[in-house]
Amino acid sequence: MVAQKITIEPVTRIEGHAKITIRMNDQGKVDHAYLHINEFRGFEKFCEGRMVFEMPLITPRICGICPVSHHLASAKAGDEVLGCPPPRPASLLRELMHMGQIIQSHGMHFFELAGPDLLLGWDADPATRNVIGLLQANPEVALKAVNLRKYGQEIIHTVGGRRIHPNFAVPGGVNKALKAEERESILAGLDEAIATTQLGIQIMKDWASKNMEDINKFAVLKSGYLGLVTPDTGLELYDGQVRLIDQNGTQLEKFDGRDYLDYIAEHVESWSYLKFPYYKKMGWPKGVYRVGPLGRLNVAEKISTPLANAELKNYKALNGGKPVEPTLYFHYARLIETLFAAERVRELLNEPDILSTDILNTHHDFKGVGVGVIEAPRGTLWHQYWAKENGQLERVNLIVATGNNNWAMCEAVDSVAKTYISGPQVTEGMLNRVEAAVRAHDPCLSCSTHAVGQMPMEVEILDPEGHLIQTIVR
Amino acid sequence: MKKRLILGIGNLDRQDDGVAWHILVALAAQLKQQVPASPEEDFEEANPQLLFVLQLTPDLAEMIAGYDAVCFVDAHTSEIQAELQKLELEPKYQRSPFTHHLTPETCLALSESLYHSVPQSILVSVKGHRFDFSSQLSPQTAKLAVEATNVILNWVTVNKDS
Repeated sequence: MVAQKITIEPVTRIEGHAKITIRMNDQGKVDHAYLHINEFRGFEKFCEGRMVFEMPLITPRICGICPVSHHLASAKAGDEVLGCPPPRPASLLRELMHMGQIIQSHGMHFFELAGPDLLLGWDADPATRNVIGLLQANPEVALKAVNLRKYGQEIIHTVGGRRIHPNFAVPGGVNKALKAEERESILAGLDEAIATTQLGIQIMKDWASKNMEDINKFAVLKSGYLGLVTPDTGLELYDGQVRLIDQNGTQLEKFDGRDYLDYIAEHVESWSYLKFPYYKKMGWPKGVYRVGPLGRLNVAEKISTPLANAELKNYKALNGGKPVEPTLYFHYARLIETLFAAERVRELLNEPDILSTDILNTHHDFKGVGVGVIEAPRGTLWHQYWAKENGQLERVNLIVATGNNNWAMCEAVDSVAKTYISGPQVTEGMLNRVEAAVRAHDPCLSCSTHAVGQMPMEVEILDPEGHLIQTIVR
Repeated sequence: MKKRLILGIGNLDRQDDGVAWHILVALAAQLKQQVPASPEEDFEEANPQLLFVLQLTPDLAEMIAGYDAVCFVDAHTSEIQAELQKLELEPKYQRSPFTHHLTPETCLALSESLYHSVPQSILVSVKGHRFDFSSQLSPQTAKLAVEATNVILNWVTVNKDS
């Protein structure tokens, strides 16, 4: 077999969000599969020269699915740059919006993306193997799923004033207080959201009990895990310390998110624009880690809300208290987090300060540099800004959630391709599994463009000499 | 009168990807509607209703289902030969590995399945020549935006009456 270097030629700035290359060997088996991220990350450079207070409005345009995460991380970074920590009511409101984001994003992912995989099967007819097929097979579940996402979106809209790109969090706090009637309207939908989430958890458990063989061979990876935690090592999605554990569950580090550059470095491969973050002290590739729902539930020892904590105990029991490794359990972890988010909404709404109008700190004590870290639905997200005294940004660094999982996605694609693909012709069912390996991580691949004709994903099958056998566009 | 929606999709910070915004602004001027101060704010309530989004999401299906006629506006890549295209759309679900890539046809399919309603729909798209990190349209796409505006104004007139 002749070794070939796979490189991406940036003919245009948008060639599609991602590409999978599957190289076959002489025996007709997969030699290696690569997940290439083609989208060029240039937002950091683009933001240089902007004013720090603009960033909570600009950075949400990185993505239309998780704008709230960027919005809040950006505001938190701005709090530090300008030295204006927000009043407690503002932090509560920001967290409330964040829980809405978690509910809508996780809810949509499980029911509308993962749902067809789990409920209709990877080998189902492509014409019906989608959310429409799910609707036809199980209309009650499909409508509940739509309502769950709507509920999360309504929280964002009610708290922030807009569904998609909130103009809400600013350095120093937020610019809109919550009214009593708004609080009541959010509370009114909570029980149904919790019930739908619990339905999803039952669906996941029922599916898992019948598919243990797949679960135990589908991208079961050894890695570290990273996520935010509370002071007593509970699940934390808005604000906390960063905890990193190894593949056995032993703590490697617990650090302030501001110091992330002391602990995390980024590796580069020629075949992808997305870098590979890793734990510095262990080096590349030993220091790889996973984030997002699986990562977070592995680093957390408890959850502060009762229903989610009960489910966490079931989750931890899957591997006798050690980290849960199978990639397909991302879906289960995602639902447990959704349950936590819904319960946390109730806790926040019951806080007396949630209706306070003390929501903005206008006193500045300029620091010049600031880090905002938050748990986006997909994983730990960092925004770091360096600014001149007039607030103009000189430098921006972003480590996006999906970037933290880059190694995990690539490894999962390779593992699944090797497990399920054989022979030069790749069937729909085989490809569906490879796609599911990516989908389990709920990636957000810097999708700031969506022009017609831009392919979301392209798959190329190469023979041992690197010649193209088959191209599939999805 | 038919209830019409003109739904622009794109990112203003990615140069020609944001052409739909510029087209909507031009349409607002022609239709004597107020232009919002920023893409993050809503256009005034009117018929036709103008709406600009970063990308299509499943929750738009419910809103789309409430209209009689919808014109989607977007940029397209060099995969498509024509500089400007106008397509009649039918509901068709397109699979995607990610939640982040929804087509207009998929939105229509969701409207049909979930809300039993499919408005008459078209897509007007113009070729994007540059997708760099900038808020300024390339000269070629700026010119196409003018043509697209006229095509859509004609559509508005043709689809006026029930």
